Parts: sequence; structure tokens; C-alpha cells
Amino acid sequence: MKLKGFMDDAYGGKVRRKKRLEKRSGDFVLGFEDFVQRLGEKPSRKDVEELAPSDEKHLLSLVTSATPENNKRDQKTWGYLSGLAAERSPEPLILPARDFAGLGMKSGMLILDAKSKDQALSPPSHVGEGMTGGRILVRGGAGHYLGQVMEGGGIVADSCEDYAFRNMKGGWGVVKGNAQNYLGVGNFGGKILVKGKAGLRTGWLMHGGRIRVNGNVGYYLGLMMSGGKISIGGRSGGKAGWRMKGGTIIAQGYGPNVGAGKVGGKIFRRTAD
Amino acid sequence: MPELLDKIDDLIEALEELRLHVGQADLHVGNHRVNSQLYFTLANVCLRNRVALLYGGMGANKTTLVNLLGSAFMGLAFDQVENLMITGHPEQTEEKIVGFIDPRQWSCPSPSSEDETIEVLWTPWAKSSWKVINEINRFPSGKQNLFLELLQKRKVSYAGNTLELGDTCYFATMNPDFSSTYPLDEALLDRISVSVPATQPDFLSSLALRDREKEAWELADSLPKFEPHEFERLPSLAGEVSLDGQVELSIISLIRDFTLCERAPANDKTQLSGGAKPSRGLCSECHYFNNPEVCCWQIDEGLSDRVRQDLRLYTRALAYLLRMADSDTKIEVLRAVAPYVIWHRVTPNRTLLDRPPYYGARKLDYVRDLVEKSINRTLNERGEMNMIFARAVDGEISLREAIEDLSEYDDPIARLDYVRALERMA
Repeated sequence: MKLKGFMDDAYGGKVRRKKRLEKRSGDFVLGFEDFVQRLGEKPSRKDVEELAPSDEKHLLSLVTSATPENNKRDQKTWGYLSGLAAERSPEPLILPARDFAGLGMKSGMLILDAKSKDQALSPPSHVGEGMTGGRILVRGGAGHYLGQVMEGGGIVADSCEDYAFRNMKGGWGVVKGNAQNYLGVGNFGGKILVKGKAGLRTGWLMHGGRIRVNGNVGYYLGLMMSGGKISIGGRSGGKAGWRMKGGTIIAQGYGPNVGAGKVGGKIFRRTAD
Repeated sequence: MPELLDKIDDLIEALEELRLHVGQADLHVGNHRVNSQLYFTLANVCLRNRVALLYGGMGANKTTLVNLLGSAFMGLAFDQVENLMITGHPEQTEEKIVGFIDPRQWSCPSPSSEDETIEVLWTPWAKSSWKVINEINRFPSGKQNLFLELLQKRKVSYAGNTLELGDTCYFATMNPDFSSTYPLDEALLDRISVSVPATQPDFLSSLALRDREKEAWELADSLPKFEPHEFERLPSLAGEVSLDGQVELSIISLIRDFTLCERAPANDKTQLSGGAKPSRGLCSECHYFNNPEVCCWQIDEGLSDRVRQDLRLYTRALAYLLRMADSDTKIEVLRAVAPYVIWHRVTPNRTLLDRPPYYGARKLDYVRDLVEKSINRTLNERGEMNMIFARAVDGEISLREAIEDLSEYDDPIARLDYVRALERMA
């Protein structure tokens, strides 16, 4: 029998015409490793957004099942995905507290559980970095660079390590406990409230925005600041307002050499009521 | 020989009446709803030199069922059938399984032994045409290699002697991974023709089992017995069932769907080894990767030609048992048979099992869906490209024209099989 005869026998003369293999609709992602592999070396939020599953359930499963390697590419990719997942989730999204969580987030509510048993020993760094909207609540302490370069939205954390809210342009941040060194370095805007103490060089190179620390702060408060307002509920260490060019500092008391080299701005001592 | 089928029906009825648990009616073949454990075992009885594996937890009647059928078809008592069985454990050796050199030939040499041939005492298992390997995965990995030679063969060799077996029915049973089991080698799995899950009785079956008064070995006496000539006749009766073009084409396309890989040597996934597997990133950014309509990237292994033979044989045997030999819907039999022939031979991408619709541990269901996709695609969507290819091979249209037309089809078979075959012919 000829091959055509065999095919005729198989189809009984009823061949459906012009049916091609259907193209996939949307990208089908196997897992987080596969997702990262398909991105470039330095993925942007746009890259991640284009490749991320459009389906909310798939996206959430991708974020929750991910175990990012200890490199910035994996961590940032997961961070972008966590932000996207929070934006698309109708309810507050609870995720493990990992580095770069809520990276570039635009809206939504993200709750990071930094107190769970599975949590890594070091607190999550770069949380809420570059976010422009939405809310992040860190249950537990945050690591370095909390809310760095953020432009909008709000972050609440129990405590934070160095460089919190660095180069902040907008939005607000609340630290319910203590902040470590370099709080609000180079800020252009936004509001920061620390209910406990803060370390050295709070408001260093600050250009705008407001910082309020309820407790004491370390040396070099408002170091070389040129704008904005810093209010300290307790006392400041030495050299507050050193080479200050503008802005305002208010504290209950200061250490030695307050305002040394100051060329502008105002330093006030709060009087007891 | 319809009376032989009637006798098989009587056997099935007798097993039901005796309350032998053989699972639920989970095998859907057209309008038939039958029990996969029982019917695949019976289908294997209708074939020779094929291996049926019953796979499941302890106490699911796997061994009992095989031995009861052995008793019925071989006309032996239950005890005698049990003696024909070998059971896997680390101390099993070739001498215990196949045969050993007769030591008497050296202590009392007979005149006939002057020709220097070594006399071997073959075990009952080796001599039997009904071979059961119980708990096959309790053989250590190295000893499993012994079965590579034994299974599906018509003769056994030991110490330079060969025992002609003729046609044999092979059965194996195994539990899931337990603490004393060993993983089965891929080559051995490929020699297992069909693998059937054996499940525990459900609520209603448990109720029915309460009424069973006899022990398993006593049930054997109540079953209809087959004459030797009837048992020997079964393969030819099953072989008389003809497969139509629809089934033949679907079988070949199904195997190509699983085996073709653009990135494998010779586009053949059975050539892949080590870390070069679809689940380990081989398909990253491949043209077909992530397309749910295509099978190639979803499964690590390709299928060997044994699968084609098994699909044809078991489709015939099951069609015979279900009296569908003259039916024009034998494609439904293939749909039912194919998952059981394929699922133990392949490894689906783990991530896909964990995605909607969440197959998880239900690997058989996952493979069933892939089979369904492949067959439906062949029957409904590949017609035009198959006709172009056929007409080009038969010389009705020019090869160049056919290659141009087929290049427009984004189908692995068209691109990797048809176009390349026509290019070679050009």
C-alpha cells in the first residue's frame, strides 16, 4: 500500500484543513530558576514584568516557591516579583522576609514575616528599595538599606540597620524601635519617624524631607546637611550640624562642638515645657 | 473462538463472586468500564514474552491475583503456582533463579558425560512458561541486570547450556519505594511492557470483602480451569485482531511526539544522558519550550521501539478481551492502553506536576493527558500535513513543494521528521 493509502485509511478521507500548532498564550514559566535564567544579567523591573506570569495565582506560586540563590540577580528578581505579586493581590500579601522584598513596588500591601522559624539569621536588607507606592510592614527587624531611594508609599519596621531610607525622595518610613547609623543619608524628601534611638550621622548630606527621632542620636547629626528638618526628642552626640549649609536641627541637648564649621541653617535647643 | 472468551468471562465472574479484590473499574474503554489491574493481567495472559508489572502498596492482591490466574490458566493448584514464583531479596543469585551445575556429574560420571558438556539442573521457575517475579524492586540494582537477559526472551543460558523456553508469560510485582527496595534500572523498566497500579479496597469493596469465606489459596479451586491448548491458543486469537490505520498512525505519532527533540543527537531523546535533559535546562529558549501543546519538553526520556510493539500488542489483546475486535473504535482501546504502557518508562518534569491542575504524585494521569493530546492532535490537526508528506513520498507532488508546505507547520513531526526525510530523498 502506498503511504497516501495508509493516510487515507487513517483519516477516512476527512482531513481537517489549515490547522496549525497553536502558539502559546502568555509565557509559561516552569519555576523560579527557569524564570531567572530567561532574564539578562541585570534584570530591570520592566524585564521582570514582561516575563512574569499574567495569572495572579501563577505569579504568587512563583514567588512563594522560589528559593533565590545568594546573588543579586536572583535576589533582585525575587524582589521585583514580590512587588508585582503585592500589586496584583487584592489582599495584603504575606511573604518570607528576604532581601530586596518589595523592590520597585508601586501599590498593594506587603507583609514580611521576619520572625518566622524559617527566616534566615540576618535580617532582610534592601526592603522596599525604590518603591513608589503601597505599604510594607516588616514583622521584626529590617536589615541595611531599608527603603533606600524610595519615592512613595510607606514602610513600617520594628528596627533597622545602617543606611535606612538613604537618598529617599518621598513617602514615609516608621521604625518602631531603634535605627542604626546613617539614617536618612542624602534625603531629598519624605518623612522618617524613629520611635527609639538612632546611631551616628543621622541626616548626613540631607537635602530635604523630615526626620524625627524620639530618643537620642549619635555624633554628627545633620552632618553637612543643606535642607530639610531634623527633630530629636532626646539629646544629640557631639559635632551636630558640622559644616551644615541649610535646614533645621532641633534637639533637647547637644554634645561638644555643635555647629562647628556651620555656614547656614539653624540649630535649636528645645526647652523643657 | 468465542467459547474461550466466554470462559474468560466466567473466570472474571468467578473472581467477583469469590470477592477477590481487584480494585475499582478505573479503565474506561469506549463504553466499557473495567478494572485495569484485572484486565491488563488478562491481556498479558493473551500475549507471550511480554511483562506486566503490578505496582502498589502491600496487601493490594497483586501477587494473589497473578497466582490465581496462573492456577486457572496453567491448570495447577495454587501451591504449585506459588512454587513457580521467585521473590526479590539481596541474597537471590542466578543459581537460585535459573539453575545450577549438577554436582553429581563429577562424583558419578555417566557414559553420556564424556562429551564434556556440563549438565545443569534448571529450576522450576526457569522451566515454567508462567514466570512471576515477586517484589522485583527488592533485587539489588546489580542483580536486576540478570533480568535484562531473561525478560522477553525465549531461552535461558547458564554455564554454556541453553534452555529453550518457548513462549512465556511474565509477571512482576513491586511496592513503591520502601526502606529495603532499590530503584529499577531504566533499561529494565523499558523491558516491562505495561505497568498497572494496584490500589487498596475502597469502602464498598471492603464491605464486600467481609463476605469472603475462603482464603486466597482456597479460591483457586473454585475457578474455572483452562486446558493447555486453550492457554496456548490465546496469543493467536489476540493476534487475529487487526489494527486500523487510525490506530497505527496514532501509535507512531505518539512515539515520535515523546521522542523527538530538536536539541538531541539525531533529534532522538533516547540519546540524551547525564545533565542534558529537558528538566535540567536543555530546552531553555527552545522553540517549543513552554508550549503546552507539545510533549517533547515535558518529558525527559524518549520512547524505544519496544513501546510501539507493546502498544500494538496490548491494544489487540484488550480489544479481544472486550469483544471489540470488529469494532471501528479501536482507537479508544489505544487511548486506554497507552498511558499504562508509557508512564513507568518516562519522567515528567517535576515542576509541571506541581502546576495547575496539580498532578502531584498522579504521574499516570499526567501521562494520560499527554497521550490524549498527542492522539487528538494526530487525528484532528495533523491530517493535512500528513497528506502532504504522503503525497510527496508517493511522488504525487514535488519534494520541493512539499518541503515548502511542510515548513509552514510548526509541528515537531513535520519539522524534524517529515522535512528532513524529504530533504534526504531530494
